Amino acid sequence: MILEEEESMAEEKKEGAAATSADVAEAKRTPGGGITRRGLFIGVGSTAVLLGLGGLRYAGHNPINRPPGGTDEAHLVSGCIRCERCYEACPRQAIVPAKIEDGLLGMRSPMLDFNTGNYCDFCYEENGGVPLCVQVCPTEALELPADYTVGNPETGETGDIIIGTAEIDPRTCLAYRLTGCRDCYDACNYGAIELKDEGGANPIPYVVEDKCNGCGACQAVCLSLSSGSIKSSERAIVVRPIQG
Amino acid sequence: MKETKNAAAVETASKKDGAKAMDAKLKTRKLRTAVGAVVFVGMAAGLIAGVSMGTLSGFGWDTFSLLCPLGALGTMIATKTMIPRAVVSLLLIAALVLVFGRAFCSWLCPTMLIDRVRDFFRSPKKRRELAEKKNSQIKAVSQQEIEGLKAAKAGHACGACGKCQPVKHGKVDSRHAVLGGALLSTAIFGFPVFCLVCPVGLSFATVLVIWRAFAHGDATIGLILIPAMLVIELVVLRKWCSNFCPLSALMNLVGRFSRTFVPVINDEKCLETARATSCSKCAEACEADINIRHPEFGLRTMADCTRCRNCVDVCPTKAITMPIFVGKKAGKTVVEIPEPVMDDDLRPSLD
Ligand code: SF4
Ligand code: SF4
Ligand code: SF4
Ligand code: SF4
Ligand code: SF4
Repeated sequence: MILEEEESMAEEKKEGAAATSADVAEAKRTPGGGITRRGLFIGVGSTAVLLGLGGLRYAGHNPINRPPGGTDEAHLVSGCIRCERCYEACPRQAIVPAKIEDGLLGMRSPMLDFNTGNYCDFCYEENGGVPLCVQVCPTEALELPADYTVGNPETGETGDIIIGTAEIDPRTCLAYRLTGCRDCYDACNYGAIELKDEGGANPIPYVVEDKCNGCGACQAVCLSLSSGSIKSSERAIVVRPIQG
Repeated sequence: MKETKNAAAVETASKKDGAKAMDAKLKTRKLRTAVGAVVFVGMAAGLIAGVSMGTLSGFGWDTFSLLCPLGALGTMIATKTMIPRAVVSLLLIAALVLVFGRAFCSWLCPTMLIDRVRDFFRSPKKRRELAEKKNSQIKAVSQQEIEGLKAAKAGHACGACGKCQPVKHGKVDSRHAVLGGALLSTAIFGFPVFCLVCPVGLSFATVLVIWRAFAHGDATIGLILIPAMLVIELVVLRKWCSNFCPLSALMNLVGRFSRTFVPVINDEKCLETARATSCSKCAEACEADINIRHPEFGLRTMADCTRCRNCVDVCPTKAITMPIFVGKKAGKTVVEIPEPVMDDDLRPSLD
């Protein structure tokens, strides 16, 4: 730091000296009304960089699942200052900071990751159905309408906060290989997964899209990737974000 | 001639062990480092353990929040709405800056900790070199000022020598241009652009990304990129805090009206004014690039005082205090050259 000080001072000195030798009146004037030439250079350079970063808005990022109240993607990106308060607040650790691989624009903004075995219950259990992430968000980047109902695991109601919709990939789902797996069916609290051939030897799950609120419980329990024989980058059931 | 010899003696002595002596005197700096470290580690641990208290970008619990002022402005400009918690945070922080100036920068900001870590890893030789460089510059200023004043007394205009040019302090500097650029980009593209690269946010993000890599096997290029951005900002861009930081620019805007806890020099005790001996230890020690003894020669003005107390700590005659209230703007004291009355035992002690 000290060395840097020296250099910047030296530069300013040089400037001053040059100005005096050129014209005494000239020395009184600094370009940009008080900002030195070096300062002007810093200002212009940084503004250019920040405008370039702003352009990331058009680059966008991969669609990712957002916490409740964050599904209006444009609003979330506008509001979020990446303070990580929602990340801290989530009692189920369902929220993770989005990675750079999903796009620079979304880096460190909140994303729901169901592959960790955690899912979102809209804080039904921990906070009586008032999402804590929305409650703590200081910028209202996560924001819910005044009137809403959340998914209710007791009555099986879907609620009107929809994170996304689950989707089963028949090529990787273990049930399609007649293993009898029905973990996702068991995990769903809202009756959004039904079984073809229920009671039969090989029940096969499918998603009832109208009932699914994207809570991720099914994805959180899906075993397809741990069975070893299946090569895929994703679990057989994944929640796809709703297109806001 | 006696004082010149004295000054020379002081200078050689200070060159020998100036850096070490000064470091030893900076008592408040140790305290500040400790305070900053405790807050940072506490918040980072909270982040990892899921204790709701936020980070320095958005501190708070439950529904209470103290938002970063730049984040608060950015989010409101981007969403074009008034956000109550953002407005309250802005007012609260403005009040705090009015009272404590840029104290955040020297007591809490993680960049201060990163600086300390950098200092720590510098070789003693390098450290000495840096200190000597700064010392010789500041010395040149103070000697010129003293000589100049004497010359003025004898009928010559100061600045005839003109080796050290005063810095012209405008109302705004490069940081304000960065601030303007950040807000402009936010207005055009509709998201808080600076938050992407904010060193405060990146410091916490570094801890988080490393912890997640260990605990969850979450490998990501962020592991390299996030610390790399910090290094670019704090190491490659020279003097981030004084030249670039838009937060520092915001605080400067309010800090210039602060009249509380501003360091003031008692000219009757100061070696330069009372004894016409070049000293300016206070200017050497200032982390905010302020020359409190010769304000017009410092890169920044008292508007940027971070209340770090370095100047108070290093002053050999304890001439600097930080009174609760300063009536007029500090740092405008007139240097009067008295007849030299330098005794040997009044030389600044350098240990
Ligand atoms: S609603 Fe609750 S469980 Fe769901 S993401 Fe938010 S904090 Fe986590
Ligand atoms: S609490 Fe709000 S502003 Fe903070 S990271 Fe989460 S969504 Fe973003
Ligand atoms: S199908 Fe999956 S994501 Fe949809 S509600 Fe059921 S458990 Fe939740
Ligand atoms: S003037 Fe003194 S208290 Fe203020 S920043 Fe400089 S050294 Fe610290
Ligand atoms: S350190 Fe103290 S004695 Fe030395 S110039 Fe500053 S105020 Fe004067």
